[in-house]
Amino acid sequence: MSLSEKYEAVIGLEVHAQLLTESKMFCGCRNAYGAPPNTQMCPVCTGQPGTLPVINQFAVELGVRAALAIKAEIHHESVFSRKNYFYPDLPKGYQISQYERPFCTRGKILISLGDGSEKEIGITRIHFEEDAGKNLHKGDHTQVDLNRAGVPLIEIVSEPDMRTAEEAGQYLRTLRTLLRYANVTDGDMEKGNFRCDANISVRPRGQKEFGTKVELKNINSFRFVEKAVEYEIDRQIRAIEGGETIVQQTRGWNSAKNVSEVMREKEDAHDYRYFPEPDLAPLQISDKWIGEIKNELPELPDQKKSRFESSYGLSGYDAGVLTASRDLANYFEGVVDVCKDAKTSANWVMNELLGRLNAVGKDIVETPVSAMELANLISKVQSGAISGKIGKTVFEEMFETGKTAESIIEAQGLKQISDPSALEPVVRKVMEANPGQVAGYKAGKVKLLGFFVGQVMKETKGQANPGLVNDIVKKLLDS
Amino acid sequence: MSGSSNLDREDVLKIARLARLELDEAEVALYQDRLGRVLEYVRELNQVKTEKAATVKHVPRDAVSIREDRAIEFTDREALLRNAPAQIEEHFLVPTVIEQN
Amino acid sequence: MQLKEFTIERVIAGYRKQEFSPSELATSYLDAIEEQNGRLGAFLQVDRDLVLAQAAALDSRRQEVNKLPLFGVPIAIKDNFLVKNWQATAGSKILKGYVSPYTATCVEKLESAGAIIIGKTNLDEFAMGSSTENSAYFPAKNPWDTSRVTGGSSGGSASAVAAALAVGSLGSDTGGSIRQPARLCGIVGLKPTYGRVSRYGIIAFASSLDQVGPFGRTVQDVASLLEVISGYDRNDATSSRAIVPHYSDHLKGATLKNVRVGIARDWLEGVDGEVRKSFDEAVKLMIKDGAKIVDISLPHSRYALSTYYIIAPCEASSNLARYDGIHSGFRAEGVTDLDSVYFKSRGQGFGAEVKLRIMLGTYALSAGYYDAFYGKANEVRKLIQQDFLTAYEDCDCIVMPTSPSTAFKFGEKAADPIKMYTSDICTLPVSLAGLPALSVPCGLDSQGLPIGLQFIGKHFEESHLLKVAHKYELERGEFPLPAGVDY
Repeated sequence: MSLSEKYEAVIGLEVHAQLLTESKMFCGCRNAYGAPPNTQMCPVCTGQPGTLPVINQFAVELGVRAALAIKAEIHHESVFSRKNYFYPDLPKGYQISQYERPFCTRGKILISLGDGSEKEIGITRIHFEEDAGKNLHKGDHTQVDLNRAGVPLIEIVSEPDMRTAEEAGQYLRTLRTLLRYANVTDGDMEKGNFRCDANISVRPRGQKEFGTKVELKNINSFRFVEKAVEYEIDRQIRAIEGGETIVQQTRGWNSAKNVSEVMREKEDAHDYRYFPEPDLAPLQISDKWIGEIKNELPELPDQKKSRFESSYGLSGYDAGVLTASRDLANYFEGVVDVCKDAKTSANWVMNELLGRLNAVGKDIVETPVSAMELANLISKVQSGAISGKIGKTVFEEMFETGKTAESIIEAQGLKQISDPSALEPVVRKVMEANPGQVAGYKAGKVKLLGFFVGQVMKETKGQANPGLVNDIVKKLLDS
Repeated sequence: MSGSSNLDREDVLKIARLARLELDEAEVALYQDRLGRVLEYVRELNQVKTEKAATVKHVPRDAVSIREDRAIEFTDREALLRNAPAQIEEHFLVPTVIEQN
Repeated sequence: MQLKEFTIERVIAGYRKQEFSPSELATSYLDAIEEQNGRLGAFLQVDRDLVLAQAAALDSRRQEVNKLPLFGVPIAIKDNFLVKNWQATAGSKILKGYVSPYTATCVEKLESAGAIIIGKTNLDEFAMGSSTENSAYFPAKNPWDTSRVTGGSSGGSASAVAAALAVGSLGSDTGGSIRQPARLCGIVGLKPTYGRVSRYGIIAFASSLDQVGPFGRTVQDVASLLEVISGYDRNDATSSRAIVPHYSDHLKGATLKNVRVGIARDWLEGVDGEVRKSFDEAVKLMIKDGAKIVDISLPHSRYALSTYYIIAPCEASSNLARYDGIHSGFRAEGVTDLDSVYFKSRGQGFGAEVKLRIMLGTYALSAGYYDAFYGKANEVRKLIQQDFLTAYEDCDCIVMPTSPSTAFKFGEKAADPIKMYTSDICTLPVSLAGLPALSVPCGLDSQGLPIGLQFIGKHFEESHLLKVAHKYELERGEFPLPAGVDY
């Protein structure tokens, strides 16, 4: 029995997502990434004496959107609490969060796995909190930038429902897609506005109780979610097999070395002394308000997928691929809007565009071919201005150079020849060069028609309109 | 109260550590005595029957006041940095921190 | 010009009659403060330039005396309020040299009403105390007898008004910090309903209890200040949207006829003989004027002290975490690692009482103790509040002594925290219930020290409360000034 058959991992994820608001959670400072240090701060978010927090309404609305996206319960009354600890990036000495009474509990999302199966992952809760600033370590000293202090966050805590690194990765991607669809967050792990900690334990298969869990931090890229989780599972299994006892601790993923390293042991665990934030009355979210937010909620992936199937007549598979991200779905709809042929558009987007993007490792938002340009290209093929085959060559060129279809066709003279008076001499030339085949055709070998068409296409470097060539060949041979 | 009113030295040191307060020996003794006295006194709350408290409504209050999501620039950030005991390159300065998060 | 005669009304009348200009008046106050502050320790900061700049600006706007209710009225502000460009130390070494980057909402309102901020007044460090002995700088002294305390924590604000060094002042009251020093200094001090006045810009002690309120020589002055500083503030999510009445106008024609005044008899048992006598006389006066006395019961208020000394330290331990030697204020010298920045800055920066309360709160919130302390105390708090609401079914306001004994000597109660805390025994239940209350002088004891009567009202019914207190004040007649105040 292999080790992975002998043991089972239990994984739960805690995700922090920054909310796409204009201002911070409790004050009017701008919530934007990348400003010069300590330029987005005010008395409130720097914890000046006498300041008080006031809840950002839109942050609450984005939280409710997230709750709706994961089909969770939204509580009419929730309570903000203070989490007390000392750290240089935390100017008040406490973080305003939600503890005993979060605004949202009991959600779920469905993830798709590589073997074609699906699995439901439970979400324990979502709560609001404020982000901390940033400590920048400079060798002999540390300096603190408070631009991020007070940026609104939601923390999404999953149930310990995942069993493999793949499930963890898929959960994280699916959650991100949902939240990006709902315009809740940018979901950019590299920029730190979407962060993930994993609680990982292993136990012998068949055992009911959970093993001792380890918290894994610093998983700050989608590129190594699976790798980090896999490593930690593997490390724990080996440790157990080696006779060690797993101790409760916090480890950090070192992406340079591809290992997890101890950050702190349980003995250092904080005593956060949570208590209800006395500066804020309980947050009230009425059914009426939830209704309004629901009405303005952008279309979510599963809704979009069924719409693509019903109104565009796409297969379930195609609709699934095209709604994998909101940007891709928007792109596809942009193409259809112009060229009006959904099935053809789907083929072009999926086969040509996604094929090329995947090959160069780019996302749809980085595509060098805009939806409008792709639609123009498709229209040219549809109208017969160029052939389908040339269309694909033109697309390659567009992708490489970013030029428009029009200019490439123009510059390279790729326009389809649909003028009979231009094609007739070519046909005659081919007939003269192949008297044997002409004789054969006239003797009844009608299949030779294809030979002549092929020769004409070759002669015109594929630019001839094949339908028209067919007609002319037939006419001249039969005369 | 579950805690004994007679705090020992270790209790005082543990609390002071949580609160990030350096105490000298005399202070430890002083706070052991004073904290002990206050905790002894407040034990009386143990006797109070508070089952009914759950049915008592809070002080009449307006619904929580909520803020429109609009950015307002605070123009005097220098005043904030100036009040910090140590700064460097427009940052708040502290001795090297061993990263925990 | 006689400062001792000035009430708000008298100052405004003086400007209307062109008896003096804002600059002249401000200068007189500044001179008096300079002369008296060494004796009284009422002010922590008086900045002549900042004061005269405000006065000069008003000199050129003389015609606005008819529009601005506090035009050119010198008001002292407790040093735990932020006023832009003024220091705000909260009486603590840890905020020494801290310059306010913004102005508290209530002070902004005073400024818009034309008031002159005359100085920042002394207090117990972070408003934690009942005597102003806990100031990190120097104690405030009682103008009636400088060997005695002013009460606290707003001792400087009370002393300044009692000694005619300001026409009015603002303080903060968490468990009695306005009413108790008002009573010890023989002036009027009001703690409004929690939520009536914005807390934005007041250095927090215990957020669920802190409330801003005015001191004045008369109920009329206190009403005039209250109507200026009250109202909803978008920067304070706990401030109320309840309409702010014209409290001072409402005083006209006040009557005690058929006003049902509640008295909790069991509360009078532990009260000093002289205080009790003075209280009984005040009640007689009210009955004479038509008030109906109703016996009420506040059974849970006997637990107010314990309840308060759990809730307030818990909130304080968190509120004071921001003084960490990094973001603002004091950092200990010679610290080379992060832990010593925290431990030494806080260890050296906070005074003894503040450290005691931080530790109390830290202990009570720590793992395993939360429910037994903070949870339990909040339940008892609800019961204390419910007792008041029940009592108000039978009465319109409640009277009780403001504190059980008169001003004590320095050091008299410093050794035993519980003994010191009991000076607030009559004010704490009111704070826990979030109710409005004010202290009005009601007599002098045999040593010539003031005694105070506490009027307690219903939530957001300051208007009625002030009317009752005003009428009592009229019946009582003129209250004397401390002996040394003759300028």
